[in-house]
Amino acid sequence: MELYLYLALFSPLAGSLIAALFGARPKTLFTGVVTSALLGLSLVSSTILLFYILGGGAAVHVEMMTWMATGDLYIPFGFLVDQVSVTMMMVVTVVSTVVHVYSIGYMDHDKSFNRFFAWLSAFVFSMMVLVMSDNFAGLFIGWEGVGLCSWALIGFWYHKESAIWAANEAFIMNRIADLGMLIGLFLIYWNVGSLQYDRFFEAVVTLDQSVLVMIGIFLFIGAMGKSAQFPLHTWLADAMEGPTPVSALIHAATMVTAGVYLVVRANPLYEMIPEVGYFVASLGAFVAMFAASMALVNRDMKRIIAYSTLSQLGYMFVAAGLGAYWVALFHLMAHAFFKALLFLGAGNVMHAMSDELDPFKMGGLKKVMKGTWIMMTLASVALAGIWPLAGFFSKDLILEVAFVEHHYVLYTVLLLTAMLTAFYSFRLVALIFHGEERYKEYGSHPHEAYTFMLIAMSPLALLAVIAGFAFKGSYIDMVTAVLPATEYHVHSPVVFWIMVIGTQLLVGAAIAYAYKKYQNAKIDKAFEQRPCYKVLFNQYYIPHFYEEYISKPYRELSHVAWKQLDLRVVDATVDGIATLFYKTGEQTHTMQNGNLSTMLRWMVAGTVLLLALGVAFTVGISVVAG
Amino acid sequence: MMFDNILSILVFFPALAALLGFVVEKGSIRAYGIAVAAVEFALSLVLWYAYDPSVVGMQFMESIPLVPAFGIHYLVGIDGISLFIIVLATFFTLIGIASLGEVSRLKDMILTLLFLEMTMVGVFVALDAVVFYVFWELSLVPMLYIIGAWGGPLRIYASIKFFLYTFTGSLVMLVGMLFMAYFYHQATGVWSFSILEWYRLVLPENFQIWLFVAFFFGFAIKVPMFPFHTWLPYAHGQAPTIGSVILAAILLKMGTYAFVRFSLPMFPDASVFFMVPIAVISIIMIIYTAMVAYAQEDIKQVVAYSSVSHMGVIVLGTFALNVEGISGSVFLMIAHGVVSGALFMLVGVYYDRRHTKLLSEMGGLASVMPHYATIFGIMVMASVGLPLTINFVGEFLSLLGFYKQSHILTLLAGTAIIVGAIYMLAAFKKAFFGTVTNEANRGLKDVNGRELFALIPLVLVTVWLGVYPKPVLEPINNSVESIVSLMHEKAITQEAKMRIPNPSQQEAASGGSH
Repeated sequence: MELYLYLALFSPLAGSLIAALFGARPKTLFTGVVTSALLGLSLVSSTILLFYILGGGAAVHVEMMTWMATGDLYIPFGFLVDQVSVTMMMVVTVVSTVVHVYSIGYMDHDKSFNRFFAWLSAFVFSMMVLVMSDNFAGLFIGWEGVGLCSWALIGFWYHKESAIWAANEAFIMNRIADLGMLIGLFLIYWNVGSLQYDRFFEAVVTLDQSVLVMIGIFLFIGAMGKSAQFPLHTWLADAMEGPTPVSALIHAATMVTAGVYLVVRANPLYEMIPEVGYFVASLGAFVAMFAASMALVNRDMKRIIAYSTLSQLGYMFVAAGLGAYWVALFHLMAHAFFKALLFLGAGNVMHAMSDELDPFKMGGLKKVMKGTWIMMTLASVALAGIWPLAGFFSKDLILEVAFVEHHYVLYTVLLLTAMLTAFYSFRLVALIFHGEERYKEYGSHPHEAYTFMLIAMSPLALLAVIAGFAFKGSYIDMVTAVLPATEYHVHSPVVFWIMVIGTQLLVGAAIAYAYKKYQNAKIDKAFEQRPCYKVLFNQYYIPHFYEEYISKPYRELSHVAWKQLDLRVVDATVDGIATLFYKTGEQTHTMQNGNLSTMLRWMVAGTVLLLALGVAFTVGISVVAG
Repeated sequence: MMFDNILSILVFFPALAALLGFVVEKGSIRAYGIAVAAVEFALSLVLWYAYDPSVVGMQFMESIPLVPAFGIHYLVGIDGISLFIIVLATFFTLIGIASLGEVSRLKDMILTLLFLEMTMVGVFVALDAVVFYVFWELSLVPMLYIIGAWGGPLRIYASIKFFLYTFTGSLVMLVGMLFMAYFYHQATGVWSFSILEWYRLVLPENFQIWLFVAFFFGFAIKVPMFPFHTWLPYAHGQAPTIGSVILAAILLKMGTYAFVRFSLPMFPDASVFFMVPIAVISIIMIIYTAMVAYAQEDIKQVVAYSSVSHMGVIVLGTFALNVEGISGSVFLMIAHGVVSGALFMLVGVYYDRRHTKLLSEMGGLASVMPHYATIFGIMVMASVGLPLTINFVGEFLSLLGFYKQSHILTLLAGTAIIVGAIYMLAAFKKAFFGTVTNEANRGLKDVNGRELFALIPLVLVTVWLGVYPKPVLEPINNSVESIVSLMHEKAITQEAKMRIPNPSQQEAASGGSH
């Protein structure tokens, strides 16, 4: 099995390096094909590992070589395939294989085709390191690696100022969170003496509660950055500047879920500190609703889906925070499939509309883009949580968890958010695919995407439909071997059915309302003048606040530090001291004029001065001593 | 045995070759310089190969009495801490000479560099304070000449400032050394300037504090530590590329190396006493100079200030006073040498083409010079401290080590990973991204073979030691362990005993965790 582990891990790296060799050259189709094929290999290996684990095989654990060793610190490159990581590996390889094949079509006309595939595969490698590592330091390698690839891919079209700005914003904001993560690692090391998962989880029971709380908080700060939780969320929407396949893979399905993975992975820790878990869950519920509210009014197709991702991440954190780790992981998986599908569909629409993002300028596209329409609708239904699609099984489960654990406030928030989700999802579908063909006013000539792109997307469509009912049972059997196997059943069947049917009805109503309202939408100028619309449209003015009160002061303070402090104070002092010596010499050099009588006079004056000093010193000493 | 005199050969071969170089014809001086530097580099590799990391203490020692009456010896030797800085010095001299473009008075430049190489190697092999001091001061001369003769418009001001500033600090250090020898004489009745002898002297805490301060001035100005850093931007601003490369990669390391070689083992109690103030200075260096770097309009100044910021992490790691931190800090000396040297070289690549370093003149270079942008990008990411690059190992260990001493201060120092990303990415964006707005940039040639010869090895080292730091980290670790256990034994105050953990006991207590 070790062979498959290495194959799964390193074939994306090999692909990336091969593509990078041709990085600066014009498009060669071959790079796209090779990287996709190598990812296919990684997918097959992961699948073999999955079936091995499903068949009751023991976790595969390898230690490749030493990375850092000094003092008592020993960090190897160690990799672990257990029930949790194999789930993540499947999610990562499935979605990324699809996205790679899709991108061959999507990036068809881009002159940096090769560079794109080099980075995309590098991302997959980093993500695999992140989920397969057997220690926190290795996790951190992947953590930073995906950050780097995300930076390079958000800023892929580097001639665009906005793209680079967004890339740097994402990198720096993640760095802020990474500091928290590093501190968490330091705490673990100095309290446990090792960064290995198994050593740490064994030691968890022996550590002080206060230490555990600190570790839990700092690790979660790291998770907040990658998973874009409030207040570090603004980068995710801006990250939509990247090519759409990137948004599908990195900013929907995989990287942003790394934070959830971290909490799930560290479940023995968070089990011990339920108060931190409750905070995680509350923040998650808040973000779920907060993000959904911003998605309601936005007029940028990709941003709407990004907010939706943010909102779903909130759901996952609710589950993880409440200790329902397997539920969180299950929603992570289901969400990866339907959200990636949604994004790739959006990519088709963008292609068709020559990169237009405003759904108000589309409409009626279902006639020309039947395949895309069907798939995006499927993804939206799954996202809304309608039976029997994937979202129903995973998202409704989170609602049940909140209910069963008696967190009724969280439950209510999540229920409302579920309605909002259904509303904005179908607002988008209605605006893009239904109603009048508004795009004609703007002179667009939409066309369906290449057939092979649609075929590439179809596995995701299939998974979005069946992942819930087909996999749930075997998934639970598998992961509960390592995750707490709590079952979340509403005890009274009446209440249970009321909840399920009620939720379905509410969500259905939201969908119907969205269709009705936006089927033949015109841009409503009066509505756009309302304060609540403005607040939502401007993302609660949070980016504005960050720019005005953090970025700008930092820029200005930096300038002051340089011009005023460094040059005028610190350096001027040094030069002042030097000038003092120089000037003293200049003023006194006339004393040495070679005139014997002048020099004799100075000599006498000096002798007198020395004598006087000597007397004063002696007297002083005797006074002090006496 | 052939290794008996290898250190002396390493020290004096470049200088003798430089003397001989005066009679070499102008036309063949480049080949001559490269050949000499290559032989020297090969010798240093032989040294690395022959070095036995399992041996505790100094290796390849040589001792020749110079002034026996005062116990002054030509005493040299190396351990894992100095070994790699020596290899780094010979490495940078080689690629520095090989990558020299069309400079005026090429012959003078090459001979100066070879002479500089002698002083650099000399500083790191010296185990006698007087010999150390001589090389320490001598190293100023060639650098003064390089800045003064090949520098920019303000070169005279910059070179004199560099010289006088560092020289002043060194004089204070010299006084400290004389006092140290005097105390040694008081205690033992014999004169000695051997650092190894000085290690064995246990001084009362107040003596340690005064001597620590005296040495500190010499070292801190060299590093340079805030607020003694202002000579550095001028020196870098005016120095030619090769001067900046050597200055950043090697000469600055003399200061941090000296902390590890002198201050820690000689004054363990004073080191503990000054730990917090020095950590505060380091944090100021990290944050404040990072902000100043962010405000710069000249890309070379960005790199120059970033050096100061990174040196802050090195000093912090040194004063973690445990094996993790000090090993990390020594490793970071190497790492920072590689990365900042490469960055200065990269700035030079653009300067050679356009004779400007202003960020406002750049922009959109990624599309004109893709290979240049890629290499620059790799080095930027290394400078930012991305895992699997050489810098991360050092930075991570330095911060990890200091976390044992103070949580809050480490949290503040850890902002290095944020503020470092801010100025580096901002500068990279201005220089390489966006569209080409400046017509003068449009036809620029990408990096040529000569430049690649220097840059590719640096990229390889950056990644190699980031992925597999063991060959370097292990010898460093072993030597640091012996220093830390010496400090622990020598420490007289209770506080110092507690702050400086005994590595061997730690090992035993954790039951051989490896």
